[in-house]
Amino acid sequence: MITKEEVLRIAKIAKLYVKDDEADRLIEDMSTIIDYADAINAIVEDRDVEFDDINNIANAYNEDVVLPSYDRDEILKNREGGENGYFLVRKSLRG
Amino acid sequence: MSYELVAGLETHVELSTKAKIFCQCTTEFGGDPNTHCCPICMGMPGTLPKLNKKVVEYAVKAGLATNCKIRNVSKMDRKNYTYPDLPKAYQISQFDKPICYDGYIKLSSGKNIRINRIHIEEDAGKLIHEGGDTYIDYNRGGVPLIEIVTEPDFRSIDEVIEYLEKLRLIMKYIGVSDVKMQEGSLRCDVNISARKKGDEKFGTRTEIKNMNSLNFIAKAMEYEFNRHVDILESGGVIDQETRRYDSALNITESMRDKEDEDDYRYFRDPDLVNIIISEEEINKLKVELPQLPDKKLDIFMNEYGLPKDDADLLIKYKKIAEYFEEASKGIKNKKLVSNYILSQVYRRMPTDSDKEECSVSLPPKYLGELISLLENKKINSSMASQALEKMLDTGKPVSEFISKKDMEGIDEGLLREICLRAVDENKEAVESYLGGKEKAFGAIIGYIMKETRGKADPQKAAEIVKEIIKTS
Ligand SMILES: [Zn+2]
Repeated sequence: MITKEEVLRIAKIAKLYVKDDEADRLIEDMSTIIDYADAINAIVEDRDVEFDDINNIANAYNEDVVLPSYDRDEILKNREGGENGYFLVRKSLRG
Repeated sequence: MSYELVAGLETHVELSTKAKIFCQCTTEFGGDPNTHCCPICMGMPGTLPKLNKKVVEYAVKAGLATNCKIRNVSKMDRKNYTYPDLPKAYQISQFDKPICYDGYIKLSSGKNIRINRIHIEEDAGKLIHEGGDTYIDYNRGGVPLIEIVTEPDFRSIDEVIEYLEKLRLIMKYIGVSDVKMQEGSLRCDVNISARKKGDEKFGTRTEIKNMNSLNFIAKAMEYEFNRHVDILESGGVIDQETRRYDSALNITESMRDKEDEDDYRYFRDPDLVNIIISEEEINKLKVELPQLPDKKLDIFMNEYGLPKDDADLLIKYKKIAEYFEEASKGIKNKKLVSNYILSQVYRRMPTDSDKEECSVSLPPKYLGELISLLENKKINSSMASQALEKMLDTGKPVSEFISKKDMEGIDEGLLREICLRAVDENKEAVESYLGGKEKAFGAIIGYIMKETRGKADPQKAAEIVKEIIKTS
């Protein structure tokens, strides 16, 4: 069972503000998720998970060749504020 | 009470691949903000990163050149933290299976600085803070880095600086990075603590983050060490924390204490498959490594008989070292070649980048020909110097400036004749010389040099003149 302190710590790392009654609900939700992960872990315990081959593929590489980047307008499409081609983070958003 | 400094280093070296680590955007420095970006390096949902093969090769080469073991199977992990320079909110790095481990760099004292690990990771974007707001340019995001982590083996600032200079030189020699510190392609975090001399146990350490100048690293370490000692001496306790160096004020200041230290929640990046490197591939990369600076230094000093200062200067730039090697082929007195390179040739390359490129138009072979004439006493040193200036101006061989006849030197019979004439024509100077005025002798030699158009060996001429004066 995950503790309230742990939930609040995770919330802090994730930079989320969690109210007291929300924390209680989160303890329940997160415990369910962790139990599920533990159940899976119990099954795969005897496998070499350290180097779990992803679908038995290894060494999938790009060659060191430059391709055109995206148009800056495309990259900046969803930004809010900012000028001269930069993204902007307003003061209030920084942790 | 006397205190000892203990330090360890984490050095980030930007690799000089053409493309980024997980996409094919350019790694070129600068460029308009956010023009070297694509959905992969911007961390857009649904994109799939793919590792640049060259990054693996460069990391392995860096490991081999620093005496590391290479891991045959490694993987990439996610290091989670939230900061605007990281659009994915995680950095792809390596956690428990770094590609290289257990290496060392040997200092000139013979002491080894142990390297714990070298791992691959991606660089973050650049933040520009202005009036409380932060502007972000992600061009640097996804540029490949290696992080080289040492054990806490340093006991002085000098050792740290020597290590960094060596590391930088090795990376340049093996061609995996241009290590331009001013462009931030070598950045350092220093872990530092102080302990009473004779103590076994390390003191509490602090970490000074992200410095990109040797000068600042030295100053920051000096400040931080003194700060530790002051606190310990007054009975205080060091807080384990991360600090930043303010170069304008020459102080370090706290960034965050351990309480706030990020919990990175590392886990394997499921988007990236295992990196498997066979012994055969490792050997192939080993063969590709050039002769390393330490080996060159050894050969220059112990085989070629160069003084350490000369050898140090020559190896400092790989292309100059190679220029020297090429020019000194077939020359017995290698010091002679080194002398001309470190004076006249060196002067033609005033900037650091000139030296980096060894940007002289004169082929090393031509310098070798000139030195060979000098070594075989066909020409004297002032002739050699003068010819070399013209050769450096034009890039042309010595035969363009010294005629075949002149290259044959001047035989002793002729020299004697000219010396006799010199004594005869400079009676006044001879008188003054005999009267004790050493300076007057110069006028006689000057006359001979003029008559022979600089071909005479001034030492030989002086001998003959003295003999003539004595016997007359
Ligand atoms: Zn990209």
